[in-house]
Amino acid sequence: MPISLNYVLKRTFLSILIVIGVIVFTYTLLIITPGDPAVKWAGNPRGPKAHEAVELARRELGLDQPIYIQIARFIYNVFTGNLGLSIAYKIPVTQVVYSGFTSTLELLLFTYILAVPVGVLLGLYSALRRGSSIDGFIQSFSVVLASTPTFWLATIIVLVIYSTTGFLPYGRVSSKLEITTGFQSITGFYLLDSLLQGNIPVFLDVLTRLIPPALAISVYPLGVITRVTRTLIAEALLEDYVKAGVAWGVNRTTILKHFVFRSIIPPIIQTSGLAFVYSMVDAMVVESLVFGRPGLGSILLDALHKADFRVALALVIYLTIFYIIVNTLVDIIQAIIDPRVKL
Amino acid sequence: MSTQCRFLNKQINEKTWFFTNEVFNEILFKSMDFIVIKRQGRDVEVKIKTPLLIGIGVIIIVLILVVTLLPNLTQKPTPQRILVYAYNDKITGIDPSIEDDTGLVVLGSIYETLTYYDYKTGEVKPRLAVNWSSNEDGTEWIFHLRQGVVFHDGTPFNATAVKLSIERARDIYRETGRGMGYIWDAVEEIEVIDEYTIKFKLSYPQRLDLLASASYSAYIFSPSVLEKAGVDNYMDRALEEWFNNGNAIGSGPYKLVSYDPQKEVKLEKFKEWWGWSIIKNDNAPDVVIIKVVVDPSAQYNGLLSGEVDIACSVPRETIKSLLDRGYKVINLSTYHNFVLFFNTKRYPTNITEFRLAIAHAIDLNRVVLEALLGIGRVASGVVPHGFPGHIEGLTYEYNLDKAREILAKSGVSTPIKIELLYQVDYEETRAFATIFKTIMAELGIEVELNPQDWARLKDIAKGVWENPEETPHLIIADWWPTIPSPFDFLYTMFHSESKEWNFAGFENPEFDELIEEAWLTEGVDYRKAIELYKEAQLILYNEVVAIGLWDEIRPYVYSTRVYIPEDALNPLYTFVIRFELVEVRS
Repeated sequence: MPISLNYVLKRTFLSILIVIGVIVFTYTLLIITPGDPAVKWAGNPRGPKAHEAVELARRELGLDQPIYIQIARFIYNVFTGNLGLSIAYKIPVTQVVYSGFTSTLELLLFTYILAVPVGVLLGLYSALRRGSSIDGFIQSFSVVLASTPTFWLATIIVLVIYSTTGFLPYGRVSSKLEITTGFQSITGFYLLDSLLQGNIPVFLDVLTRLIPPALAISVYPLGVITRVTRTLIAEALLEDYVKAGVAWGVNRTTILKHFVFRSIIPPIIQTSGLAFVYSMVDAMVVESLVFGRPGLGSILLDALHKADFRVALALVIYLTIFYIIVNTLVDIIQAIIDPRVKL
Repeated sequence: MSTQCRFLNKQINEKTWFFTNEVFNEILFKSMDFIVIKRQGRDVEVKIKTPLLIGIGVIIIVLILVVTLLPNLTQKPTPQRILVYAYNDKITGIDPSIEDDTGLVVLGSIYETLTYYDYKTGEVKPRLAVNWSSNEDGTEWIFHLRQGVVFHDGTPFNATAVKLSIERARDIYRETGRGMGYIWDAVEEIEVIDEYTIKFKLSYPQRLDLLASASYSAYIFSPSVLEKAGVDNYMDRALEEWFNNGNAIGSGPYKLVSYDPQKEVKLEKFKEWWGWSIIKNDNAPDVVIIKVVVDPSAQYNGLLSGEVDIACSVPRETIKSLLDRGYKVINLSTYHNFVLFFNTKRYPTNITEFRLAIAHAIDLNRVVLEALLGIGRVASGVVPHGFPGHIEGLTYEYNLDKAREILAKSGVSTPIKIELLYQVDYEETRAFATIFKTIMAELGIEVELNPQDWARLKDIAKGVWENPEETPHLIIADWWPTIPSPFDFLYTMFHSESKEWNFAGFENPEFDELIEEAWLTEGVDYRKAIELYKEAQLILYNEVVAIGLWDEIRPYVYSTRVYIPEDALNPLYTFVIRFELVEVRS
């Protein structure tokens, strides 16, 4: 393995620092945002003793303490794995976040599994046809794609669906279909679950609901990856080792497959990783606000509305950890693929 | 000619030296292995290799098999009648003793109360209790319970269950102030006389039969929950967590199958429910899904796509088109009302004439027509239509000249600026605010709009007690009752001790006394109590502490697949649909 112990230690240490930094920043922000979590925790009490109930809730939540103690206590809880109960729903915070997480992640993975290969193929085609009119078209098209605002495109897609079908399916899957076919979600990834159970109607239903938002989110990775691939291949073709290969009479397919393509895989993975993290934000906005899918976006919005600072914080922490994991994974894959990289 | 040779014949060009157009296709597609494209002069030969052909063939055959066979294979013996009810908010909890918010929509179907409030006649009907009586001064009540009732886990229903359920709601309220257990505050002692008879001793007189029909904190749950949750004491926090994690053992017509407070709640018909033999509805749904659909247009969508059978909050403007398409609607007059509070502790709204001038300037008929598209009812006072203690004619005549006259008398010099605080997520309050602003401009009063979400609104509004000068002059809030008593509205919103909800900062000893006396009189002389409540409302009316704006009418739109009798809805149990009465065509 090209990964040293030193790297692992350094990375872990940095990650912990990042998480703590994010917690301190977000906690402070959430405390100064409007809304009283204590009222919500007490359950909007309406009886004659409502005031007492709110004060009790404030003590229970520790909100009566100075803010640095609150933060310190929260950080301790995070590292002991105890995020507590959601203030608005009184169920474990992890449970609230998890259901949205799988929904958003499924959408993103689906998008990227489709968008990355297509982007790479387009870029490849464009690079091999450098200077042609098709190249020009793909180039300018990818710029347009990468800079299209996702929420705008999503609205257009919704309008198109509306005008053709007259309605827009809500959520991730039809509840009626779930019951009539006996569908049970195990992992939270509905596409996977329905396939494993051989439940084709649900699979198709989930798929049709997944495609419109995926289409909207895909434009950014598609545009970026097309452009990056094109540049990378065009550059690689000018490298000396390619010329040498040709001069030695190596089969062109072999050159393309083994020399050129292999050299561009690490940067493409890196770009995809960055774009993936970026698209997370796109997905959060689009899935809940435009397509009405329950996901991280709606959970965050709802948490802020209901002064549920625990859920909001947990979500931010999870996202931070998720970003760290994606970035680390990208680095590790680089190290495995590219022998020049040592971690 | 081989590609190699052809390449050598070409001049090397820095830009495109690697691939010429001629060789491009060959190489690119060769790398894909399965498809071979050969160019010979002008002819193009495309060959698809056999492995690919076989692969495609296999996939097609598998797909055909899957599509035709699997629906038959996976079809398990499933229930035929499914009902999907689109509810407009996420569920905040389902602890039957504590929950006091949106959880009602679930609780109302899986639990039952001792009595049931008939909103049409104002009478209390038997439910888990068959009959009851009290001593003369209303401090001792005996309830005779229904026999042969079982909870969802098979535990028989009896007096012990009632004692446990009510004591839990009461004690949690007494110790922590949480929940709606205050309705049981008078209950001193609960005595189990025998299996089906229970006696309540009260510290002050109460209409206990009325309280027992409350929409919150009055649900009877099985004593077996203690064991299932692994607690010894009903006060244990773990029991609350157990409930909120999606567990329930009630005696209602539907039992809880799955609970996801953010997405949906699944209920299943409870076949041993005692009431089936009485209502005789063979077409009652076998499975009910309460689906959280917050966005009104998504509810509309759901109806059209057939994914939703009943929707409780489609956009008002779509109702006509839905009716044209054959959907049915029940317009339920609810007890949910909107009230405009005046900050009575801050200039100029501390001046009664000034408040009266504003009251005379609001054209509520226009508001209902424009802001609510006619679906709503102009309120008369702060107690809604049809509710006990409601008084007709507590409206202020719309008369701008009169308003100007009173304003001149009030001594407040115009132009003056006042602030209106309202909830941003209600479409109708937003519309009201804009209309209100234009109306007030005619009086020379400039209205500064301050829209906030609910959590923040409540935070600001209750500031009227601590720093009234920084609290807005006008606050719009909405309310719905727990118990069928005017006390619910009048105490909470206007009693000087109710500092969490009295957004007017209203303090009037005479009013406070009337409310307290009426509350104590309810158990002895109900009519007199209602009179006292009415008297108290007149004080509010004359002093213009708050203006009742409108009482909500909620259109429940449903598809032709189902039929909802009117009895299935009851304004006291907001958003609860008695699914056992609903008929579903399979």
